[in-house]
Amino acid sequence: MAAVIPAGALIASVVVLATKAGPAVRVNGAHFLTGSDWKLGNTYGAIQHTDGVAHPLGSSYGAWPLIAGTLQSSAIALIIAVPISLGAAFALTERLPRWLSSILRFGIELLAGVPSVLIGLWGALTLGPLLARDVYPIVADHMPNVPVLSYFKNPVGHGEGLLTSGIVLALMIVPIIASTARNLFAQVPALPKEGGEALGLTDWEVTRKITLPWVRSGLIGATVLGLGRALGETIAIAMVSGALLNTITPNVYGTMGTVAAAIVSQLDSAFTDGTGFAIASLAELALVLSIVSLLVNMLARFIVHRTDSLSAPVGVGF
Amino acid sequence: MTESSNNGVGPNVPLDRRDPATGQAPGPVDPALEAIDPDRGRPANVIATRGLSLRFGDKTILSGIDMLFPRGTITALIGPTGSGKSTFLRTLNRMNDKVSGFRYGGDVLLDDESIWASHQDLLALRRRVGMLFQRPNPFPMSIRDNVVAGVKAHRIAKGKQLDVVAEERLRQVGLWDAAKDRLGDSPFRLSGGQQQLLCLARALAVGPEVLLLDEPTSSLDPISTENVEAMLKSLAPALTLIVVTHNLGQARRVSHHTMFFYDGALVEHGPTEVLFEHPREDQTERYVTGRMG
Ligand SMILES: Nc1ncnc2c1ncn2[C@@H]1O[C@H](COP(=O)(O)OP(=O)(O)OP(=O)(O)O)[C@@H](O)[C@H]1O
Ligand SMILES: [Mg+2]
Repeated sequence: MAAVIPAGALIASVVVLATKAGPAVRVNGAHFLTGSDWKLGNTYGAIQHTDGVAHPLGSSYGAWPLIAGTLQSSAIALIIAVPISLGAAFALTERLPRWLSSILRFGIELLAGVPSVLIGLWGALTLGPLLARDVYPIVADHMPNVPVLSYFKNPVGHGEGLLTSGIVLALMIVPIIASTARNLFAQVPALPKEGGEALGLTDWEVTRKITLPWVRSGLIGATVLGLGRALGETIAIAMVSGALLNTITPNVYGTMGTVAAAIVSQLDSAFTDGTGFAIASLAELALVLSIVSLLVNMLARFIVHRTDSLSAPVGVGF
Repeated sequence: MTESSNNGVGPNVPLDRRDPATGQAPGPVDPALEAIDPDRGRPANVIATRGLSLRFGDKTILSGIDMLFPRGTITALIGPTGSGKSTFLRTLNRMNDKVSGFRYGGDVLLDDESIWASHQDLLALRRRVGMLFQRPNPFPMSIRDNVVAGVKAHRIAKGKQLDVVAEERLRQVGLWDAAKDRLGDSPFRLSGGQQQLLCLARALAVGPEVLLLDEPTSSLDPISTENVEAMLKSLAPALTLIVVTHNLGQARRVSHHTMFFYDGALVEHGPTEVLFEHPREDQTERYVTGRMG
């Protein structure tokens, strides 16, 4: 029963979004997903009609840079956050003395509760400039000019941009993934782990071959939870990304934008469009975000389903 | 030394005679002599404890245990619950080392060398002294990967050889027919008895010299128990077995020697026949005749 409420709310909000976005979906067409321009047109000038939908002359909506920026920043966030979270969870359950572990757990929970506007502000004022001054130049200088890694070469900018966004997002999702992973690790029974030790496996082998696979599906779930947060994170990214609309950054440091950040940063100006087409296009943007999140969830479910056949059956007690 | 003479293709010769620390054969080997007695020149007792005392924190679990485990024999450890059998057993492959509060006095010798000597490699030690637990504990990987998990970790074999090892060991424990069509499946769908045999196959696959078993059949039905018991008997004399059991019948059926623990002490030990038929101590007599708790 409890599961019906969020599912219902989700369906309802998607329906509302889809209704609002309807005219934009019809007029923008595929260009919305592939185009790279986000123009309101002349909101005080002539009004044009396409397919019976009124919109300002010269308006054109292509959200590809925002979609790409969302995927890029979330991917960077996961690449940073997953290993850190798993390492932290492992240290908390297996390595650190209990008193230290509970202090750190408290710290992680505290971090999870910090409002994202604070993290965003700190990212924009302190972390970003610091990284751009002291860290990025070193990274950029040492990257060889080969495919993929050349993506990390100069110019490093001033601290607003993709990498800073990814790092800020990572900071926000580490607590989510780490605390879930810690709970999962704590549930892994001792007996199979001891079996590994008694066989002469190293601690690392026990972790990699026994502990991690034992809770594999839960870890994927935790990661998706974090990814969902990263995909939808709005205000912090609006503050540290540069909040651009039409640009895919050519290197990892450059300014960019995400779907969620664009929705919040564009809302004011969208209201100046008397035809309501700019608002409809923002609704379409929100719809795209919902669909991306949904696809990610389904992908995760698929992976869990694929890998679950070898992990321990739920409820096996040792 | 050829592969076949040291990797034990026959079911009763599961030992790899190479020195686990160096991977080297122990000196020049005559295959003919090797076939007659692979243990030539080795200490008669594979494990010996010298005044061994075991404590958790301030609590002394056992003290002053002097015991010899002759190579190729099966020793049963019996005694009431809480008498320290598991603690003793788990000390022998240093599973207790990381338990907080664990302290030991005296020494445990494996082939005349302390298991705690600084040159002992813990991983290599555990390869030589394997363990089977009270309940089956398969790893969350396929049946085949379970069997070869230790083999891979110790880099004993790789690639296609692993399939050979897996088949050989599954055959050795009598699980091959049941498992051969589902090698890639989850081990958790096997029955409890089959899972325990799988764990035995996994332990044997790394070629241990000693196998420690802590109530290996206590979670199994009578038929599976009989299976495992038959299996264990067939492993000696190639292996040295030390078995904790609450099943006195089992101790009598499978073991050559029996140790009786009671109240923090090794009360009595000796040939199984003697200990059960003519116990020296009162407590032993009461325990083996079922008149104690
Ligand atoms: N990690 C530990 N920390 C403190 N005390 C322990 C620990 N493990 C075991 N003990 C204590 O050591 C004593 C011996 O325990 P042990 O498990 O060796 O007994 P056992 O003979 O194997 O009993 P059982 O037949 O029930 O398995 C018990 O009193 C137990 O409470
Ligand atoms: Mg016990």
